[in-house]
Amino acid sequence: MNASTSADSSNLTILMELSHVSRVYGSGEAAVWALRDVSLVIRAGDFVSIVGPSGSGKSTMLGLLGCLDVPTEGTITVGDEEVTRLADAARTRVRGKSIGFVFQQFHLIPHLDAIGNVETALLYRSLKPAERRDRAMASLERVGLGRRADHRPVQLSGGEQQRVALARALVTEPKILLADEPTGALDTKNAANVMEILSGLRSSERAVVIVTHDLDIANSAVRKVSMLDGGIVSDEVLRS
Amino acid sequence: MSTFKDLVRVAFTGLLARKVRTLLLLLGPMIGVAAIIASVGLTDSAKGDLKQKVAKLGTNLIEAAASSSFGGQNPTLPTDAVERALTVKTVEKVSAVVELSNIAVTPYTEAREKFETVPIPVLAADSNLPAVLQVNLVSGRWINQFDEDSEVRAAVIGVGLAREFDVLPGENRTIELAGIPYGVVGILDSVELEPGFDNAVFISFARAEIDFLDDEVQPNKMYVRCTEGTESETSEALKTAVNLGGPQEISTDIKSEALELAAQSDRQLQMIVISMGLLAIIVGGLGIANVMSISVIQRSAEIGIRRALGHTRNIIAVQFLFEAIVVGVIGGILGVLLGMLAIFVGASIAGWVFVMASWLAPAGIILAITISILAGLYPARRAAKLEPLETLRLG
Ligand SMILES: Nc1ncnc2c1ncn2[C@@H]1O[C@H](COP(=O)(O)OP(=O)(O)OP(=O)(O)O)[C@@H](O)[C@H]1O
Ligand SMILES: [Mg+2]
Repeated sequence: MNASTSADSSNLTILMELSHVSRVYGSGEAAVWALRDVSLVIRAGDFVSIVGPSGSGKSTMLGLLGCLDVPTEGTITVGDEEVTRLADAARTRVRGKSIGFVFQQFHLIPHLDAIGNVETALLYRSLKPAERRDRAMASLERVGLGRRADHRPVQLSGGEQQRVALARALVTEPKILLADEPTGALDTKNAANVMEILSGLRSSERAVVIVTHDLDIANSAVRKVSMLDGGIVSDEVLRS
Repeated sequence: MSTFKDLVRVAFTGLLARKVRTLLLLLGPMIGVAAIIASVGLTDSAKGDLKQKVAKLGTNLIEAAASSSFGGQNPTLPTDAVERALTVKTVEKVSAVVELSNIAVTPYTEAREKFETVPIPVLAADSNLPAVLQVNLVSGRWINQFDEDSEVRAAVIGVGLAREFDVLPGENRTIELAGIPYGVVGILDSVELEPGFDNAVFISFARAEIDFLDDEVQPNKMYVRCTEGTESETSEALKTAVNLGGPQEISTDIKSEALELAAQSDRQLQMIVISMGLLAIIVGGLGIANVMSISVIQRSAEIGIRRALGHTRNIIAVQFLFEAIVVGVIGGILGVLLGMLAIFVGASIAGWVFVMASWLAPAGIILAITISILAGLYPARRAAKLEPLETLRLG
């Protein structure tokens, strides 16, 4: 199997590229190769699911794609920026500008209401408070939670919390949306709801990458990347 | 600028979200600043009060007393001491007195037993004394030249003694000095610089000589008003002028110096209270450092998500510092207000005028902010060092 079977979509803009990337935790005898020589290209319009058994390196790869981590070897490019060369602050700015995150555990800030959580993504960006609020509100409405703007996370169901997290990830209009087990903590109905929103986000400018254990979700994607022991074992286009 | 506003806004929401914790954080800088402000302000108010008193009473009052360096039992000044004192150019007014010893003072004959054992000073004084001491009479008049010349038994009593003897202002009363009745012609108001006069009896030199002395009456003390600012020179000049023989026989005392000394002894107390205030602020600072460090751990997921959302390490650090600064500003302001309240209450109770130096309020707030910044540095660094991946635990 080859890591570049999706080469037929090469006419679309490359948003992100991992090139011969390895990530090693620890050193010497205790070293764990969480990723070993992985190369991957994410293009605008991609809707990718990443699957694989536990410990195969999915989350590690997602952390690298999200510029939350730096590889031990290899290079990562986001847009035309080689982030592996950037200092922490510059890398953080690339993250804020280009990438949106959704986590299994939602990770909402408990003392802020829904709109406050969404606004957090727009802080320190020289926006007027009113504009920030309007954009946050629009984002909440997009996930169907306009009416719950002043509810704090404890007042929201798991599904609603994940939708707030989605609104927060979307409010910056990121080119790449990364989700690690976004439905992992949700029941079937809420999971379906979140997946519906995620698939609705597919656009020709954006890429959505979802790590999942759920085969239905994995197979509903446009492209499926399978991992094993820190490597990519298949990368297939399921539909166009 | 908008980043600054964002930092302040986020700091406020963070603090408001944990009200009890924030209140506890505020206590340290608040109490510390309040203690310092109150101690400085209260001692200043007390000092201001003393200063006012000194200003009212004049710094230029000198007491010149005969001293007993020759070993004499009752040292005296020369009979013409007043005239001699007036030869000193800087001397403006002089009054001479002599304290008479062992005279029992009673309000009336029947009360003799009750009052005989109470020592009440009796002084012979000239007509200038109230003018030199700058004190008024509560009622009646002072001993005058007529009393001196006609040798009538007229007495003026201090306001304290009047109260003791139940003498009402304007009332026609006699008192007995060693059994001899004297008419009370006036009540002297209290003399700040000579508190002993409140309970004293004053009579004329002429009458003192007739009723209580064997020899010619001689003063043993003089009160001198000199030109302002010449107190020490005048004191020295007086010694030579009054006692032509040996200057060691007369001792002088600038009366306002005692009050100024009293103001200084308050400084030590002030230093102690200020140190305690500083200690409170430092302990408060350690409290802030401690509580915020715990808070960094509790909020590590929040820090991680903020980092994922694009907030840099610097922003995270400054955000935590701003929380500390907001605590410092609010704690400082509350401390200043509390300190002012303490000064106001304290000064009101003591009857002083409220005095608070203009630098105190800004200094208190700056101190509180400085301490909280220092306290916030360590937790801010810890927050900034957190790795987003470690705090977020991906699935
Ligand atoms: N911080 C770390 N220190 C040491 N080893 C780590 C660390 N993070 C991950 N690993 C190891 O790297 C390997 C890949 O982990 P990763 O979390 O990427 O797996 P995963 O595919 O997401 O698994 P799961 O499906 O259970 O979430 C595992 O063997 C894991 O034990
Ligand atoms: Mg994982």
